[in-house]
Amino acid sequence: MAHEPMEPSESDTDSATETLISPSPGSEALDAGRLATDAGTTEPVIQARDVSVYYNDDRALNSVTMDIPKNRVTAMVGPSGCGKSTFLRCINRMNDLIDAARVEGELLFEGKNVYDDDVDPVVLRRRIGMVFQAPNPFPKSIYDNVAYGPKIQGDTRNLDERVERALKGAALWDEVKDQLDSSGLDLSGGQQQRLCIARAIAVDPDVILMDEPASALDPVATSKIEDLIADLAEEYTVVIVTHNMQQAARISDKTAVFLTGGNLAEFDDTAKIFENPENQEVEDYITGKFG
Amino acid sequence: MPRNEYQADLEALRDDVLYMSEVVAERLRDGLDALERKDEALARQVIEGDTEVNDMYLELEQDCTNLIALQQPVASDLRFIAASFNIITDLERIGDLATNLGEYATEAEQDVFPDVDIQLIGEKTLDMLDRAMTAYAGDRPQICYEVAKTDDELDELCEAASEIVVRDLIDTERAESEDITTLMADVSRLSLTIRDLERVGDHTVNIAARTLYMIENNDELIY
Repeated sequence: MAHEPMEPSESDTDSATETLISPSPGSEALDAGRLATDAGTTEPVIQARDVSVYYNDDRALNSVTMDIPKNRVTAMVGPSGCGKSTFLRCINRMNDLIDAARVEGELLFEGKNVYDDDVDPVVLRRRIGMVFQAPNPFPKSIYDNVAYGPKIQGDTRNLDERVERALKGAALWDEVKDQLDSSGLDLSGGQQQRLCIARAIAVDPDVILMDEPASALDPVATSKIEDLIADLAEEYTVVIVTHNMQQAARISDKTAVFLTGGNLAEFDDTAKIFENPENQEVEDYITGKFG
Repeated sequence: MPRNEYQADLEALRDDVLYMSEVVAERLRDGLDALERKDEALARQVIEGDTEVNDMYLELEQDCTNLIALQQPVASDLRFIAASFNIITDLERIGDLATNLGEYATEAEQDVFPDVDIQLIGEKTLDMLDRAMTAYAGDRPQICYEVAKTDDELDELCEAASEIVVRDLIDTERAESEDITTLMADVSRLSLTIRDLERVGDHTVNIAARTLYMIENNDELIY
C-alpha cells in the first residue's frame, strides 16, 4: 500500500483537538491522532451522537447515533431521500457549503466534535477525504491531479514518490506510469475514478468518504473499485454510500440502513444485516418488499 | 408489493417443495404397505417411482440456483431458499430409502420376526415427515422441536427392534433348526429395514432443523 509505517511518537497521545486546528504546511501535528490506536482494531474513529440535519425547516436526518469503526468499510444504504448522503457529508462538514443546512448533535472524529468552533474544515477534509459519484479529475495531467493536494499544502517533499505511492494505492500506477503527463480527462471513467481516489489518498487521510463511487461505472470498472476499497480498508477507514445493496454486501464490514424520515433503522455487521436483520422494515427494504 | 414476480417465484418454490414432500411421503407409505402385504407390484411401483423424485429434486435444485443467481436474495428470503435447498436433498434421500423398502419387499420373507413391528416404526417416520413439512409450510418453529424430540422415541423403537433381531440370531437352537443361509438373509434385510427407517427419521430431523433456521435464524437443531 501507499503508506509507509509511521513510528509512534509523543504526539500520538495528543487529542484530535490539536490536529484539526490551524495547520502549518507539512506540520507533523496534523498526523498526531493517526496512531492513537493500532491499525486493524475496530474501535470507533467517528462517533455520531444524536446528529440531526435540517435544510431550512425540513429535517433530513433524525437523531442518528452510531460508531464507525477504524480501518473497516462501513456502507450506508437506503432509499432516495433517506438521509444517508446527508450524513456522509456531515462527517467532513461538506454541508457547511449549503447555507440552509443546520447540524445538531455531536459528530466526533477521534473524540473531537468536528463542529466545534475551533475546528478548521480544511484540515478536517484533509484527514477525511471524499470521492464523489461522478469522477471529477482536474483538467490537469495525471501527475498534477495527484500532486495537487500536497502542493497546496506546501508539502512537496518526495513528491514523485508520493504520487507513485498514491497511484499504486489506487491500483492505477501500472496503467498510467508511462503517461503521467497526459490529461486526467483522457482516462476512462473507471480510471478517472481511481485517479480521484489517488488524489484523495495523496494527502494521507485517515478516513475516505465515498458517495456512490461506482454508480457511473461499467461492471469491470466497478469490480476494480470494489477490490480497491477492500485494499484501502487496510490503511484507511472507508465510509461508502451506495444504492447497490449487493455492492454493500460484497464490500463492507458494517452496514447502516437509513429509512424514510432520515432515521437510522439498523446498524450492524453486514452479514447480520443481510442474513437476519432485527428490524422488520429493514428486512422489507433489503428483500425488496418496500422501497 | 415490489418485485412481484420474485415473490411469486418464492411462493412457487414453497409449493413445489411441499408437493415433492407429498410424493415422497406417498412412496414411503407405499414402501411400507408393500413390505406388509408382500405386494410385489406395489414394490416395483415404488422402485420405479424414484426417478420421478430424482427429477423433482433436480428441477427444484435448479429453481433454487436460479433464484440465488438472478434475484440475489437476502435475509429471510435467503434463509428460505438455503433451507429449501437442503430440505429437497433430505426429501430425495427419503425417496431413496423408500425405494430400499420396495426392494426388501420383493426379496424376503419379512414376518420371520413377528415381534418386530416395522409398521409402527414406519408410521412414526411418516408422522415426523408430515409434521416437519407442516412446520415448513406454516412457519411453525415449535413443531420443529417436537419432531426432534420424536426422533428420540423412534431411535428407541429401532434399537429395541434391532435387539430382538440380534437376540433371535444368537438363538442357536433356532439357528440350528432352520436353514441358516435363509435366516441370515432375512435377518440382514430386516436389520437394513430398521436402519433405513431410522435414517428416514434423521432426515426428517434435518428438515425440521433447516426449517427452524429458516424461520428464526436458529441453528440449534442443525447437528
